[in-house]
Amino acid sequence: MSRQSLAPQLEFLLQEIEGIRIRRKGPRRVRVDLAAETLPALLELLKGRAGYVHLSAITCVDWMEQEEFELVYHLWSYETRVLVMAHIRLPRDPGVYLSVYDLFKPAAFFERDIHEMFGLYFEGSPDMGKFILTEWEGPPPMRKDFDGEAWVMDHFNWQAYHPDWLKEIEAQGGGITTRPEDVRR
Amino acid sequence: MSDLKQIPIHAEGDAGGDPKSEGLFTRVFDELKAFCRSRSLFMLHYCTGCGAIELPPAMTSRFDMERLGIQPMVTPRQADILLVTGYVSIKTLKRIILTYEQMGGPKYVIGICSCTVNGGMYWQSYATAKVLNEYLPVDLYIAGCMPRPEAVITGMRQLMENIRTGKADNWKDYYRRYDHYLGNQQQLFGERWQTPTDVIGEADHYGLAGPETTGPHTALLQQHQVPLQPLEMRLGSRQERKP
Repeated sequence: MSRQSLAPQLEFLLQEIEGIRIRRKGPRRVRVDLAAETLPALLELLKGRAGYVHLSAITCVDWMEQEEFELVYHLWSYETRVLVMAHIRLPRDPGVYLSVYDLFKPAAFFERDIHEMFGLYFEGSPDMGKFILTEWEGPPPMRKDFDGEAWVMDHFNWQAYHPDWLKEIEAQGGGITTRPEDVRR
Repeated sequence: MSDLKQIPIHAEGDAGGDPKSEGLFTRVFDELKAFCRSRSLFMLHYCTGCGAIELPPAMTSRFDMERLGIQPMVTPRQADILLVTGYVSIKTLKRIILTYEQMGGPKYVIGICSCTVNGGMYWQSYATAKVLNEYLPVDLYIAGCMPRPEAVITGMRQLMENIRTGKADNWKDYYRRYDHYLGNQQQLFGERWQTPTDVIGEADHYGLAGPETTGPHTALLQQHQVPLQPLEMRLGSRQERKP
């Protein structure tokens, strides 16, 4: 099967799904926007009938003002060498979606990571436990409403920029030549 | 020479007296001891952040740290210097404290890169611990992002000079004011934080336990501290073992 022969066939397959919007972003990049309910059907179609066996990543974007999460499923075909990016939108509250672990095993890690960083829950995923932030007790830190700077100011101390021991070094000709307050004006 | 007066010298029958009355031999021997100590340093090869990439050029042929008597060492129990090279995430800080407490005294901590001073370019990050000397007694900071090998060598020479003149004794501060350090650690890691090391017992051993060694934070620690248990060793596969 050559590279040219599969591309029209793929587009024909995608037309079977309702409410789908296909945009070519480049010679090897296809963006697909669709409703969240039809995403499992799309993935099954791409994997089963078009050779898209590699789910390379799941990306999450927090659209706080629209009260929505956007999930992007990046799928790669080794035969056609075309990347398909399937975009779906979900309501931010309650933030629950279906797992695609039964189709793509690596999805378990991506979903666990998204659950930890954004608080989005995936039903049917094998493990939604702590992943990287094993000792983190605060809110999911990648959400837009998490104010990291306020949290840092609340939890950490700072040391003075001009302590006494630095004056000794300055007397020897070292130290800070440009003051921080001069830079940040 | 004036700094040598501050070093506690324990001589038989003359504890805590005027150092000048203790005779020439004691002072010469102490000076020799401090000199030898400053010229034979093992630094712990546990590199925590991006600043560690400056250490291979500092160690290898161009700058050759070994000519100063400084060599990398793989285990904390044999090391003198703990290098904290770069950003310290809160998860890493726990491991650094565990490592530091395993080192035998006298031990020295060097904070390399801006991140150990005030968080550096990660100052806004929720996961990066900012001021290292709140959790460990830091002897020397080498600031920069990242400091060049020349700066690392200069910092090492400064530490050697501090050891020779007896200024680098911040490790004693960890025993004297353990409650202060433990309080800052508990603020970051939660009240259930504990290490397997009995720091108060070690402070008693070194004769450094003072009024600030114990306090409200160590009282909190003693409420839940589990003494170290030897691990049970048994041959056999994992399936045969019963929990």
